[in-house]
Amino acid sequence: MASTVVAARGRAGETSAPAVEAQGLARRYGTVWAVHDASFRLERGQFLTILGPSGSGKSTLLKLIAGFERPDRGQLRLFGANMDGVPAHRRPIGMVFQRLALFPHMTAAGNIAFPLEMRRFDPREIPARVARFLKLVRLEGLGDRRPHELSGGQQQRVAIARALVFEPELLLLDEPLASLDVRLKEEMQLEFRRIQRELGVTTINVTHDQREALVLSDRVIVMARGRILQEGDPETVWRNPAHPFVARFLGVGTMLRGQAEPGPAIRIGDRLLPGRAPNPLTAPRPGQPAVAALRAERVRIGTTGALTENGTRLAARVADVVFEGERVLYELVVPELGEAQLRAVDLDPGSHARHRPGAEITVSWSPDDLLLFDASLDPGSDS
Amino acid sequence: MAPFSGRSDRRTGPALASYRFSWRVFDVLEALAAQWPARAMGLVKWFLLLPALLIVGLLIFGLVVMADASFRVMDFRTYQLSEHYSTANYVRLWGWGAFWATLWRSLGAALLVTLICLVLAFPYAWALTRTPNRRLRRVLLVGLFLPFFVGQVVRAYGWLVILGYEGIVNKALAVFGLGPYRLLFSYPAVLFGLVQYMLPFAVLMLMPALAAIPEEIERAAASCGASPLRAVLRVILPMARPGLIAAALVVATLTLTDFAMPAILGGGTNDFLANLVHDQFFRTSNAGLGSAIALVLTFLGTTIAGLLLTRAGTQAFGLRGTS
Repeated sequence: MASTVVAARGRAGETSAPAVEAQGLARRYGTVWAVHDASFRLERGQFLTILGPSGSGKSTLLKLIAGFERPDRGQLRLFGANMDGVPAHRRPIGMVFQRLALFPHMTAAGNIAFPLEMRRFDPREIPARVARFLKLVRLEGLGDRRPHELSGGQQQRVAIARALVFEPELLLLDEPLASLDVRLKEEMQLEFRRIQRELGVTTINVTHDQREALVLSDRVIVMARGRILQEGDPETVWRNPAHPFVARFLGVGTMLRGQAEPGPAIRIGDRLLPGRAPNPLTAPRPGQPAVAALRAERVRIGTTGALTENGTRLAARVADVVFEGERVLYELVVPELGEAQLRAVDLDPGSHARHRPGAEITVSWSPDDLLLFDASLDPGSDS
Repeated sequence: MAPFSGRSDRRTGPALASYRFSWRVFDVLEALAAQWPARAMGLVKWFLLLPALLIVGLLIFGLVVMADASFRVMDFRTYQLSEHYSTANYVRLWGWGAFWATLWRSLGAALLVTLICLVLAFPYAWALTRTPNRRLRRVLLVGLFLPFFVGQVVRAYGWLVILGYEGIVNKALAVFGLGPYRLLFSYPAVLFGLVQYMLPFAVLMLMPALAAIPEEIERAAASCGASPLRAVLRVILPMARPGLIAAALVVATLTLTDFAMPAILGGGTNDFLANLVHDQFFRTSNAGLGSAIALVLTFLGTTIAGLLLTRAGTQAFGLRGTS
C-alpha cells in the first residue's frame, strides 16, 4: 500500500505528467449515463471545482476519481499512473466527505492518526505528525476529544486534517460545506483556501454552490445531465458561459427568447437586439430560434449616461422591487419585447425609493452583455 | 390537545361530506381523552406499562417460590418438602460430579455457540444490509425468517432424520463404502443444532447495528488507505460493537438455558442444566433439588447478561444513557 503511494510520488517527481487526466470517463446506472464522456486535465497544485446541480453527475465523477466506482468506459490517469483496476485504498488520494464520516469510536487524534497507521508510516513519526496537523487546522489541545464532543466546525477541521495528514497527491472534497450555515461556510471556504495554498496540494471540490466555486477555484468545470458543459477559469466561465445552462446556473437573471439574426442579434417582436455569441459551438444559426442571456447587474437603469455604440435602450415598467441589502433587485416588464420579463439590479439602495412598482423607466445595456445561444440547448426555466 | 379538541375542529373543518370516518373515530377518542384529568397525565405511562409489569412480577414471584423450595429438602416417604430450611440441596450440588459436568457443558456451549454464531452471522447481516441487489436481499431475508416457521423441536427431529444412524448422510456415505458413523447423540451434534437454531437471532440482532453504519464510513476508511479487511477490523467491527454485544447476549442466554437441542440431539448423553432441572422435577420428583439447580441456572444467565451489559451499556439496544 505504502509502496504504491511512494511509487506514485516517485513518478510524480520524475515526470511532469498532469495531476489528473480523464479521457472519455463514463459510468452508467441501469440505462442512465450518470457520467458521459468526461474528459479533462488538471495541472499539479491547482484547485478545481466541479459545479452542477444535484443529479448532474458531479458526485459520480468524483467517485470515479476516488476509486469508489469503476468507469464503464474511458481512462483515468493520476500523476501519469493509469488507475485502471487500482482500488480506492491504493490511490494517493485524501478525501473530505459530505457528512464528514469521522470514525465515532476514535478521538480526533485517533482519526487523524488512522491514515498514517493504514499507510504504514513510521510509528515513531506518527504522534508528531498528528500534532503538526492538529495545529494546521487550529485544533491544538482538542486531540483527545471524540467527534461528538466537537462542534460542527471543529469536526470539519478534523476531517480536513485526516484527509491531508499523509500528504496525499490529490485532495477530494465532496460538498463538505453543503450543510453549514452561511457564516461558518464562508469561514471554512477561506480555511480550505489557506490550507490548500500552504500545502500546495492539488484539489478537486464538488459543489452546487456557484459562489463557492468562484471563491475557491483556479479552474471550474460545469456539469449537467452527466456531461461537462464548460471548463475554464472562474472569470471566463462567469463572463463567457459557453452554454445557456451554464448561464442559468451561474445566476443569469434574464433569458429572452426570439429569433436569431445575422450580426449576431436576436429579434424579439419587431425589435432587433444586437448581442454576442460567446461560443461558436452553441451560437444560434440565423433564422433559427435563439435565446439571449442578460445578467441583471449589466442592465443600466435610467436615461443617464451615454449609450455604448450599438447599445440597446428600451422603456420598461417596474413590476416589483426587492430590497436585498447591498443592492436592489427590480423585476421589470418590457412592452416592446412582447411584455418580456427582465431583471435589473441597482447597487445604490438609496435610489430604490425613486422607482416604485408601476413606474415607467428606461433600461439599457451594451451588446457585449447580451449573450446569444441556440434556443434548442436551453433546458428551460425549470432547471 | 385541549385547544384542538375534535368538536371545534369539526365546526371549522371542511364540509361534512368529505369528513373522513377515521377522523370521526379520533374525534371521539380525543373527546374521551380530554375528560382525563390533566393532573393524572403522569399516570398514563404506568397504565400502559401495567401488563408488562404484571408479567415480570409473576416471573419474580415464581422465582421467590422456587428460591423458597430450594432451601427445603424433599422427604421421599411423603413426597412433601420439609417444613424447616436447610442448605442441604446446595451442599449436595457442590459435591455432585454430574451436576458440575452439566454446568460446564452448558457454559461451554453458550460460549462456543455464541462465538460461532457471531462469526457466521456477521457476513450474512453485512450482505443483507449492504447488497444493492434486491433479489439477493429478498432471498437472504427469506432464508433468515424461514427457520422461525419451523419450531425448534421439529427442526431437531429433522436433524435426526438427516444425521441418524440410518439417516440421509450415512446412506450417502454408504454409497462410497463408508460408515455408518454415529453422528448424533454427541456434544458436537448438540452444538451444531444450537448454532443452526441461534443463527437467525444473531443476524436479527446484528442487522440494525450494521445498517446504522453509513456507507460513507467505509469509503472514508478506504480513502485513509485501509484495505477492506483492515477497514472491517479497525472501523466496522468497533462501530458494530453494540450489535455484537446484543447478539451475544441473546445467543448466550438462549443457549445456556436451552432444553430441546440437548434432549433430542444429545439423546440424554449431553444434558444441559435445563434438562437436569426437568429430570429433578418430573422424573425424580425432587422439587427442592430441581429448584436449586434452576436458581443456579438463573444466576449464571443474569451474571452473563449483567457482564455483557456493563461492558457495553444499554446502548447495545440503541437505548439512551450508559447504565
